[in-house]
Amino acid sequence: MFRDIKKFLVGGEKEEEIINLFKEHIEKLSEASETLKLAIESDDASLNYEICELERTGDIIRRDIALGLYEGAFLPGVRGNLYRLAELLDECLDLIEDTSVYFSLLNGLHPAIRDLCLRIAEINCKMVDYLYEAFNSLYQDSDLSDKTIKIRAKEQEIDGLKRQIHEKMFDIEIKSFWEGSILLKFLDSLISISDKIEDSADLIQVLNVSMR
Amino acid sequence: MAGGSNILELIPFIAGAFIAFSIGSNDTSNSYGISIGCGILSFRRAIYLLFFLVFLGIVLQGQKVMRTVGSELVDLNIHIISISLIISSIAIILSNWKKLPVSSHQAIVSSLVGSGLAFGVSVDFNTLIRIVESWVISPVSAFFASVIVYRIMESVVSKMPPLKVERAVRYLLLLSGSLIAYNTGANELATALGPIVCYGLLTPLQAGIAGTALLWLGAYLLGSRVVETVGKGITSLDPFSGFSAQMGAGISVLLFTSLGMPISTTYCIIGGVTGVGILKSTKTIRSPFLKKIFLSWVITPLTAMILGYSISSLLA
Repeated sequence: MFRDIKKFLVGGEKEEEIINLFKEHIEKLSEASETLKLAIESDDASLNYEICELERTGDIIRRDIALGLYEGAFLPGVRGNLYRLAELLDECLDLIEDTSVYFSLLNGLHPAIRDLCLRIAEINCKMVDYLYEAFNSLYQDSDLSDKTIKIRAKEQEIDGLKRQIHEKMFDIEIKSFWEGSILLKFLDSLISISDKIEDSADLIQVLNVSMR
Repeated sequence: MAGGSNILELIPFIAGAFIAFSIGSNDTSNSYGISIGCGILSFRRAIYLLFFLVFLGIVLQGQKVMRTVGSELVDLNIHIISISLIISSIAIILSNWKKLPVSSHQAIVSSLVGSGLAFGVSVDFNTLIRIVESWVISPVSAFFASVIVYRIMESVVSKMPPLKVERAVRYLLLLSGSLIAYNTGANELATALGPIVCYGLLTPLQAGIAGTALLWLGAYLLGSRVVETVGKGITSLDPFSGFSAQMGAGISVLLFTSLGMPISTTYCIIGGVTGVGILKSTKTIRSPFLKKIFLSWVITPLTAMILGYSISSLLA
């Protein structure tokens, strides 16, 4: 009886649906990060197909979130930031897909940078885990700031690795312009994933502050 | 002659019906404007809730206000009732046309007094002073009540996760909107129907049923063009501030209703919105709009009283 009255007055299913979609979105991001790490670790370019599938699923989820928000889930003041978060997660998945595509074109990584790239891929996975926890904090009674601090710390770590990679690049012999171009694009997109994750975490922090 | 008397008795009914209808078309936004705007309630659900709560308000607490306006203030006769309700109807039309928050309470009370003076009947100036004091104090009390509600909310929600805060704000907006809807029946509608009931043209229950039905009809037919909340004109409101302003106003109106004072919900909301606006930053307050409201707050009762006196003098 009370449930029916509550449903009549306020609803709430739409919000729950959106929250579940976000969780699914971050899970897809996590799967894609793990798959990319595995691809670099095992030099298996064929995993690119799986990542592309995950990216497509992410697109569908982003569209569902947009529709759900448009249909009236959450208060208007929150909707914009939530949609921006969905966009950022989608951009993150796009970057992982790009990285995977470039990786498949490279025929393996040079030993000088391979471990560093693998380390970055591992950190990206860790950051996505923290992002998932940060998102959960939006509706669970737990502190959000410690997760976002961890994400920022990991991002700084990646910045350090980026510098090391740039130093090692001088040891790599490039056979053609396109090989160099693809390698550079691969490295750029691999390094940019963490920036997007950090942006997503910042937006979660903004959502947190805007509701107080 | 008897036929003329019957026609004369029809005028308060028609004017009262018009006022009840207008309250419905205008005041849906006072109670559920924010909730509808935020997508918490559909318009259809809002007007059903409005109907239920207005009826509850006028039946449970409307009598005190009815007595103040209908029997304590002026020794009524059919001419006084007709003139004051017609003037109030005109004031409502003008307020809609000029997009100004003109208070129907002020129009009713002032025209009753003006008309009463012209007809030479007894006017209780002590009651009038108490009512005018309420008009002054109620927006101020709403101002402070809203600030207190905002502060309490701030300290409570700082310990809650944000999406739970969002959910809580939805329920709270519904609660504050419902309080305003209840007050619409207990005070707004009671003020309009007070003279009709106290003169014996209708019983309180008949007035409650008819008034609520007409109010609902007004909301149903014209309320869908949900008037922009008064708040938007003064300061931009987030749902959190909207709740504080509405709740502060609701508490203030409820307090004055229990004292039997006919006060304006609109002015209390203005007081509440201003309070929250100042709390956030004085820069958010739009002074020209507030000046316009203040001017209307002074001009409405004076004009209604002069009109009531002039028309009644001609008839008397």
